[in-house]
Amino acid sequence: MSNSAERDTEMANGEAEEDSADEQELLLGGLEKLVILPGQTSHAASFQIEQEDHTLGNSLRYFINKNPDVEFCGYTIPHPSETKMHIRIQTWEDTPTTAFDALRKGLEDMIEACDVVTEKFTDARDGFEASKQ
Amino acid sequence: MAYYGTNGYGDDAMDTESSGPKVTVREVESGRCDFVLQNCPLALANSLRRVMLAEIPTIAIDLVEVESNSSVLPDEFLAHRLGLIPLNSMNVASGLQYTRECGNCDDHCEQCSVTLRLHVKCSSPENLLVFAKDLIMVDGRTDDIGKPVIRDSAGNGPLLAKLRNGQELKLSCIAKKGIAKEHAKWAPSAAIGFEYDPNNKLRHVDYWYEVDAKDEWPVNQKNAEWESEETAADFTFNPDAQPSAFFFDLEATGVLEPDEIVHQGVDVLQKKLAEIINGLTRSDEGMNGGMSPDGYEPAPAEDDYAYGRGGTTPYGATAYGQNGYGGY
Repeated sequence: MSNSAERDTEMANGEAEEDSADEQELLLGGLEKLVILPGQTSHAASFQIEQEDHTLGNSLRYFINKNPDVEFCGYTIPHPSETKMHIRIQTWEDTPTTAFDALRKGLEDMIEACDVVTEKFTDARDGFEASKQ
Repeated sequence: MAYYGTNGYGDDAMDTESSGPKVTVREVESGRCDFVLQNCPLALANSLRRVMLAEIPTIAIDLVEVESNSSVLPDEFLAHRLGLIPLNSMNVASGLQYTRECGNCDDHCEQCSVTLRLHVKCSSPENLLVFAKDLIMVDGRTDDIGKPVIRDSAGNGPLLAKLRNGQELKLSCIAKKGIAKEHAKWAPSAAIGFEYDPNNKLRHVDYWYEVDAKDEWPVNQKNAEWESEETAADFTFNPDAQPSAFFFDLEATGVLEPDEIVHQGVDVLQKKLAEIINGLTRSDEGMNGGMSPDGYEPAPAEDDYAYGRGGTTPYGATAYGQNGYGGY
């Protein structure tokens, strides 16, 4: 596994095996992948995502904006030499959807869209190969 | 009915067709794949393009130990050329560890690297050409990861150097897993053609012209005909129309098959999302993830992570180097 170096150290100290959360932490060099920026309320929050850029930012912004419960969603990369991406989400206050729900839904929707693209691409490739024979 | 490549007022790419995204593969040849992605938002198509260019893990020579080099080329010149040699990267994503994350070894091992040796000496009066085929894989992996990609009919691979009588090259190379965001030598794709709205019906570009833009600007005929004969001039301008057909022309470097690049591109994108969901779940559960104690800067790690950051690349422990960019 990716974190066996740490595991070995910990095992030597007689500590219990770490969970996948710690594993993630090691990959980021001790930084959190997701940090909630100060000033959050139930229907509005800004998130800081570590080591992401426009590749994810723009698509994720799009998918979150697709949610009718979302009032506003925007992303920014505050400084070009820091690999941090900030994403701001505000949901309508008369909906039960919180900013957290909206982010989660956006992420899940995009995963789903990706699945469909893979599936359709595989079909199209197989179809193309079949048509050549 | 011709497909117009755009969606009308108030329609958004994802809503128009209940069938969802559609892919048509138009052309495939060795190292190339031309396909059209339809009913998909521009944002997602662009993410896919960016990921396929820069974030798919492959293997390339990263460290070179020169024992003897009496050629006319300086060591670092050779090291650079070696780095750029395409090495077979099929199954690298799952079959090889990042060296920085490998817990099996202190430096590098067969689980996170492939070693290639080169030993050639010119003993004839004629010049000796050194090719990628002369690189010998040392520790035999059962798969072909790290094997130089050779596609020319002579079976030579890229030319590395030329040796004169008496000159010798003796070196060993350590090939590692990486992504093109850190160094372009890890790029799986040489170029990705990406176009939408070839007839400029959406007016996303404003062409400069002498007399008539239609006559003066080159059009990709294949893409233009795919949509319809209509050009910007005949098309009623709709300011709310959204692009929804994207023409990809993927040109691979040879380290991965083009279809594999598309699949892995989507995979990498999904892993990015899953990682954030993971972070979000942790903050929901009230673990120390998410909100930091001081409310702004991420909490300093309690453990000493020094060993995880031993800077070996020019990037040191920053963004793309040691901290596992692309490491999931």
